[in-house]
Amino acid sequence: MDSSQLDTISVKTSDNITLGYSVAGLGSRLVAQILDNLLAIPITLIAILLYGAVANEFVTSAEGAGFADAGAGFFAGFVYFGYFFVSEAVSGGKTPGKSAMGLRVIRLDGSAADFGAIAVRNIVRVVDFGVVLIGIVIMFFQPQTRRLGDLGAGTIVVRDRAVVTLAAATAPPPILLRTPDAGPTIDGLDHVGSFERDALRVFLSRPGLSPKLRADLAGDISKRLFDRLGLPPGAPERMWPPELFIERVYLQLEQRYP
Amino acid sequence: MSLDTFIAERSSRWAALEAAIKTAKRGRLRSQSAGDIERFGLLLRQTSSDLAIARRDHPDAPITEYLNTLCARAHPLLYRGRPWRLGSIWPFFATALPRSFRAAWPYIVASLALLVIGFVAGWVAFDLRPDLRSSLVPQSLFDEMARGQIGTGVQDAPFAAAFIIQNNIRVALICFAGGMLLGIPTALVLLTNGWMLGTVAAAVRLGGYDYQFWSLIVPHGILELSVIVISGGTGLMLGDAILRPGQLRRADSLARVAVRAVLLALGAASLLIIAGTLEAFVSPSELPDGVKLAVGGTVGVLLYSWLLLAGRTPRRRRPLQFDRPAESPA
Repeated sequence: MDSSQLDTISVKTSDNITLGYSVAGLGSRLVAQILDNLLAIPITLIAILLYGAVANEFVTSAEGAGFADAGAGFFAGFVYFGYFFVSEAVSGGKTPGKSAMGLRVIRLDGSAADFGAIAVRNIVRVVDFGVVLIGIVIMFFQPQTRRLGDLGAGTIVVRDRAVVTLAAATAPPPILLRTPDAGPTIDGLDHVGSFERDALRVFLSRPGLSPKLRADLAGDISKRLFDRLGLPPGAPERMWPPELFIERVYLQLEQRYP
Repeated sequence: MSLDTFIAERSSRWAALEAAIKTAKRGRLRSQSAGDIERFGLLLRQTSSDLAIARRDHPDAPITEYLNTLCARAHPLLYRGRPWRLGSIWPFFATALPRSFRAAWPYIVASLALLVIGFVAGWVAFDLRPDLRSSLVPQSLFDEMARGQIGTGVQDAPFAAAFIIQNNIRVALICFAGGMLLGIPTALVLLTNGWMLGTVAAAVRLGGYDYQFWSLIVPHGILELSVIVISGGTGLMLGDAILRPGQLRRADSLARVAVRAVLLALGAASLLIIAGTLEAFVSPSELPDGVKLAVGGTVGVLLYSWLLLAGRTPRRRRPLQFDRPAESPA
């Protein structure tokens, strides 16, 4: 709708329909990353503790202890990056953090990210977040907020949440009223009915009209309404501003034909 | 058709599609029956065509946005690449990996060349600058040679193996991932590894321990260096895809080779488990040096006959023009 033009990608599907995917922004990507770290770091720490316990149990020499110590760092790295890889691979492209933010990894052709793509983007994660956070810099400049791993894997992170519900999309548009009350009773409402009520509703619920155009249209409609209602030339209703008049007619019709 | 009748007539199938999306587990429809999946496909196609109608007739209506989001959420559930299965491991190692190894030969040769350049440079540096020798090679090596032995007996071999495997996998992954930075880190890793080997080899030669040294290196080294050369090749492949994208955009050119490259790198890295085990158990063991060299030679012959010969297709006489090469199962 309004703001969705800049940050969407269009994907032409095999049904020959162009789908618009709304691209996840840097902010939600980073929040998802922080949420994931809240999980991944404790998991890594627990894994290291277990590793240490096992090493203590079985190491018999100083040399072995040296190997065990040096191995611990790599082991931590494997567990930490493995968290992202495994959680993305088993969930169809949603780490828990992404899931919480309503994000999802898909391929550029709109299909689900497959094993190879997830492998690429998670191995390159080491470069993205290991080398002076180069991934964040690239995400900042890349129009679709893709990091190096996304570029390599041909993936993109999109919003996966329903923004508009069916109920909201099918509900009649809200009417834009300026007067809260229906005002004094207008004569001649017997001459009009629910058809006119609906027509006025279309006018009142029309968004995005410029004020001048809306006033012009309101003048035009109110002139026809005067004739329809049979209002005499000196009637006070003719003195009201046209938009106010239309709103009051609408509200009173609404009371008559709910 | 007015918007209201359009919605009234078709909203039930949209609601059905929405409900079907909710039943998907872990981003896939695998847990559902065949009939349900077929119905899902039907609903998605119907909703897609509704989206096309809504775009044409009511481009600004909220329902169009709704339908787009609905289709966009449903589409990746149905359309996906080949799933990863345990059963696909065997064909991967039997055919796909050797094939992609051979397809990547120019990069692998380049990667090998970098390693060799590093090796020769290290050797020459050691020979030409006797004053720098103590900084080129760790003192412990000279001590060991002075005692008349090098690298015998590793205690806690399982930990040594785990350490060595992890370390080598890390080097292999840096070689691959360095491709994203135009392959510069990849080239540096290859050169420094060659350099280290070159200086140590020159020092050992000076001490006259060639035979013991190479019997210590060769059993695992053939595998290990091959893997580093292969993963270096994949890194160079990525760097080349970025630097020379041809007719494609750089991102597309990169994405085109990256999945092939990562599968090659991962497949090669899995060999490091064998290499690390040999390095911890065979290389430092009490076995005669000749046996160790024989183990290394056998591993090398097996490795390269697999990489060079497995998964070959019989040569066709005259391939027709519209015949496309069979997709390799990856």
